[in-house]
Amino acid sequence: MKVKYAILEKQDLYRWVEYLKIKARLYAPKKKENLFVFGPVKNADEICLDYIPTILPPKKYYFPQKEKLLEFSIKPFKSEKAIKEFEEYILFGVHTCDIAGIQCLDVVFREYPEDPNYLNRKEKMTIIGIECFKYCDKYANCTSMGNNVPRGGYDLMMVDLGQNFIIHINSEKGERLVVELDYIKEAKPQDLAKLENFRNEKKKMFREELNAPLPEVYKAFSEYESFHSEVWNDVGRRCVACGNCTAVCPTCYCFDIVDELELTLNDGLRYRIWNYCQMDDFAKVATGEDFRKGRNSRQRHRYYRKFKYPVDKYNRYFCIGCGRCSRTCMADIILIETVDSIVDPANAQNYKGLIKNMPEVCQITQDTGACDDR
Amino acid sequence: MKKRSKPKVAFFDFTDCEGCQLQITNMGDTLLELTELFDIVNFREIMSEKSDDYDIAVVEGSISTDNDIKRIKGIRERAKILVAFGSCATIAGVNGIKNRAPLELARQRVYGDKADTVNTIKAMPLDEVVKVDYYILNCPPYVPEIIAVFKSILIGKPYPLPNYAVCVECKMNENVCRYEKDEECMGPVTRAGCNSWCINNGNRCYACRGLVENPAADGAKDIFLKYGFKAEDILKHFTLYNDPQGEKKYDREFK
Repeated sequence: MKVKYAILEKQDLYRWVEYLKIKARLYAPKKKENLFVFGPVKNADEICLDYIPTILPPKKYYFPQKEKLLEFSIKPFKSEKAIKEFEEYILFGVHTCDIAGIQCLDVVFREYPEDPNYLNRKEKMTIIGIECFKYCDKYANCTSMGNNVPRGGYDLMMVDLGQNFIIHINSEKGERLVVELDYIKEAKPQDLAKLENFRNEKKKMFREELNAPLPEVYKAFSEYESFHSEVWNDVGRRCVACGNCTAVCPTCYCFDIVDELELTLNDGLRYRIWNYCQMDDFAKVATGEDFRKGRNSRQRHRYYRKFKYPVDKYNRYFCIGCGRCSRTCMADIILIETVDSIVDPANAQNYKGLIKNMPEVCQITQDTGACDDR
Repeated sequence: MKKRSKPKVAFFDFTDCEGCQLQITNMGDTLLELTELFDIVNFREIMSEKSDDYDIAVVEGSISTDNDIKRIKGIRERAKILVAFGSCATIAGVNGIKNRAPLELARQRVYGDKADTVNTIKAMPLDEVVKVDYYILNCPPYVPEIIAVFKSILIGKPYPLPNYAVCVECKMNENVCRYEKDEECMGPVTRAGCNSWCINNGNRCYACRGLVENPAADGAKDIFLKYGFKAEDILKHFTLYNDPQGEKKYDREFK
């Protein structure tokens, strides 16, 4: 790779988006009522690069909610055909936290036995990230998780420098989308200096959101007392088992398999469909036993699946700090509060809706101004 | 290939609005496909012929008179398979509201000075009186689910009802949560399977599919209260469709 950093002037952004649309199917964050979702781009001006995490993470493109696995027929002879043709696509404007989410699922689905559906879709994916320079809202804990800055896992990373974007080229796949375009130029030393400057300013603004550093969080989660903490009973009492927290999590990957017959009763499709540990029947077995009875133990399981088990297994935290689970929870089960309370039970008393009453860190959730400047 | 003989299906209605059966007539081409697989022998909304010879009885409406009990028992005897069809038949539905007041009061209110001539008992779902083999929930039933149940009947397999909240499907559809907009919704305690039909179309969930096996009535009540609803109004959300489930699932939380 010749060019490591490139410069895109803001007036050329839409032109570049149009170019990307020709190259592959383009998905980007768009506004939906007062929130945001990733969706296919028809017109470049639909794209919102100044957004808080979308309702569902971009996971829906590489691990879809309901994914066709194979077609089967019963007559004339029993046969099945795996579905493995996928089209090229670009995820545009992905936050660094969501990119960390993709890295987590990579670890899971590449483990033996590898998951061919995920790998096939992943191979067709190009990730163009965008680095945040302001906080989404009070629910995010990206700095504590170390995902507020780009840490690989993308093809291109855009940084908004004011008048222009500086683009970090991180793969050949990404390079092919910026070379040979006369309006995307190699970055000059002063651009890189400006980027450096931006990052230094950012360090002052982004503070660790959890009270304790991660190793201490892991240590707390490893202790016997934490597993039996009163915190889980409190969380379990508030939880309604709606499953929202697991549905919106970029690193949850449980699924169920269902077969659906057509009305001919001869042909059908096999699907896999998202399934959540928060569901009442998730850990029920054929004899009627339930290994995780009660919403308290199911919520606890969710947290251990982020801060303890994957660290033991993959040496990686499976919380990426996007804050989606807290944002979507109608019962106000806030991840930052729960984790802090496990690390130091004294915090449990101090919280109880504290975060709820904190002022918004920034204003971009409001209707005005979200996309105006682009 | 030898063509198998088609099972005979009969439709019946009890205390209801017959809107569930109307859903069948609204199926369009799919209804024609279904008639390739079934013989419809009784269906007063679409045909005048009648028959007492049937394999599958699809029954709409709840049981609310002594005569209803006699009649449903007769249908149960004649049918090999009995399908409870729609909210009234599966969970008593809106008819259950009557059970929250003394029967005498309900009779007076509805029939006035003719009240003495009318027999009425508490509104019940079919399975309080007879054995039910398949359940098609919803008010009115959701067409893809009607088809799924009919397919299960044909291949002789049970149709397991989901035991998780409507929110699960709603999130998969990436709807903006109604609570996000400070609007009420019964989604968190209501049994899924409708693909969050109402919320997809800008409405709220009314719990017409019944509650999940183990609803967090306490947590749900707290959420409602937090969003500024009064306890008695919240209880009305629960009883609108789900009176018979109150004793087991939520009454305690509202006392």
